[in-house]
Amino acid sequence: MKNPIWAVVEFRKSRTKDDIFNVLKNVPIFSDLSKKELDEVEKIIHRREFKKGEPIFRMGDPGLGMYIIINGAVNIVEENENGESTTLAVLKDGAFFGDLALLDEAPRSASGIADDNCDILGFFRPDFMDLLYRKPKLGIKILIALSKIIGERLRRTNEQLTQLQKK
Amino acid sequence: MDNYSFQLYSKILKLFWRVFLIILGVAVLIVIFPYVRSVVAMFVIALLLAVLLNPVVDFMESKGIHRGLAILVTMMLILGVIIFSISLVIPGIISAVESLTSKLQSDMITDLNKKVEDFFAVNFNNAELARNVTSKVNEIGLKLLSNMAEFFKSVGSILASVAIVPFITFFLIKDIRQFKRSMVAKIPNKYFELSLNIFQKVGKQVGKYIQGQATDAFIVGCLTVIGLFIINLVFDNPVSQFVFIGMIAGIANLIPYLGPVVGAVPALLIAIISNPANLGIVLIWIVITFVLVQIIDNSFVSPMVVSKSVDMHPLTVVIVVIIGGNIAGAIGMLFAVPVTGIIKVTSKEVIWGLKNYKLK
Repeated sequence: MKNPIWAVVEFRKSRTKDDIFNVLKNVPIFSDLSKKELDEVEKIIHRREFKKGEPIFRMGDPGLGMYIIINGAVNIVEENENGESTTLAVLKDGAFFGDLALLDEAPRSASGIADDNCDILGFFRPDFMDLLYRKPKLGIKILIALSKIIGERLRRTNEQLTQLQKK
Repeated sequence: MDNYSFQLYSKILKLFWRVFLIILGVAVLIVIFPYVRSVVAMFVIALLLAVLLNPVVDFMESKGIHRGLAILVTMMLILGVIIFSISLVIPGIISAVESLTSKLQSDMITDLNKKVEDFFAVNFNNAELARNVTSKVNEIGLKLLSNMAEFFKSVGSILASVAIVPFITFFLIKDIRQFKRSMVAKIPNKYFELSLNIFQKVGKQVGKYIQGQATDAFIVGCLTVIGLFIINLVFDNPVSQFVFIGMIAGIANLIPYLGPVVGAVPALLIAIISNPANLGIVLIWIVITFVLVQIIDNSFVSPMVVSKSVDMHPLTVVIVVIIGGNIAGAIGMLFAVPVTGIIKVTSKEVIWGLKNYKLK
């Protein structure tokens, strides 16, 4: 008979892993990945808990990677030189942010502040670069998905710019 | 108690607990260190091996080979190379020590004994005392030399006793990412990105530095062996002794500026022991070989393989090597520069992180 203590640990571990898989599967960057590939990603992501009001990263910090909200809410805030802040967006369960930092170390363009107690996954550039080298097929899949998202954003920005110029 | 006093009191209490816990931690470490020293040594060796082998394993994994299999294949290859090198080198060392013993017995010692006996006979008019002194000295000398031969013979059994190192190395390479993740897991959110960034950068640079140094040492060792083969002078057991001298030269090369001089010593010693008729010319050729190896290393090999991130001023190198020697003898001297390099890279990255991250 299985030791009940280990049974509980294993149950918790598998449940946590399932939670993470479900969240990752709904993030566009990872949505094309198979279960085996998601397993590889799961090995290199970091799970963090933030309390309400706690900064996840600050505007101007060197970018290190992207975050995915498992549950909770995050304010994306822009701060000016006088310390006044403007909320640009409020992100909820399943949303991701900071993805540009997967490509370079450019300073963060806004701060991410927990609007509620949050459970968050972090996927960071050094781990992504390492994955890209070790598992090129998987890395390229993620890179293409990331390019599509950035391309889509650029297209939308161009459209908005054109509309503004017309006005 | 007013609010300000309360906050100050709470801060002092926190500070007290921190200092107390640090002192307690250091005390516990000092107490348990003698008991865990061998485990720590094994872990450090395994960690060094893991850093050296990880790029090979990563490369094999990138070609579609399962990570576990890639580690096994790499470790088997390395183990084969180590066993082959040792089986090649040990007989040479033993024969060198044995020939040294017999030579000392036959020629040099006899001459020396005669001189000492004459000295005692002339100055103290007591040849018997002189004979006693010289026989005692001979006895001690021979005992020391036979112990050296025994020591080298026992290297094999020492290696067998550290069979645990490959086991640790295997898991360090296999689960290196999980280890890294668990190491940063408990860092407070405020310092998490800063720590992760510094951790990754330091890890990468230190890894590159260690791999570069190992590659450089290997190439210097090979160049030395090739050089000695080319001049091919006075060695009794050439292949074995050349490989031994090459290994020493490669390892000594880890100590900048001083290492190359130390590396040449075994070759010069073996030549002196052999005592050929043209000893002067032989020594000059050996010195030329080592100088040429250094020129090739400094001009072509080192700039290509060794990371520039830990460049040190010659004076710094000399000072840290002396300090390392005082702390832990020859091993301390060998590790002084790499450890200083690691401290330098870490400090550089920590300062960069503190400047660039907003921690308030």
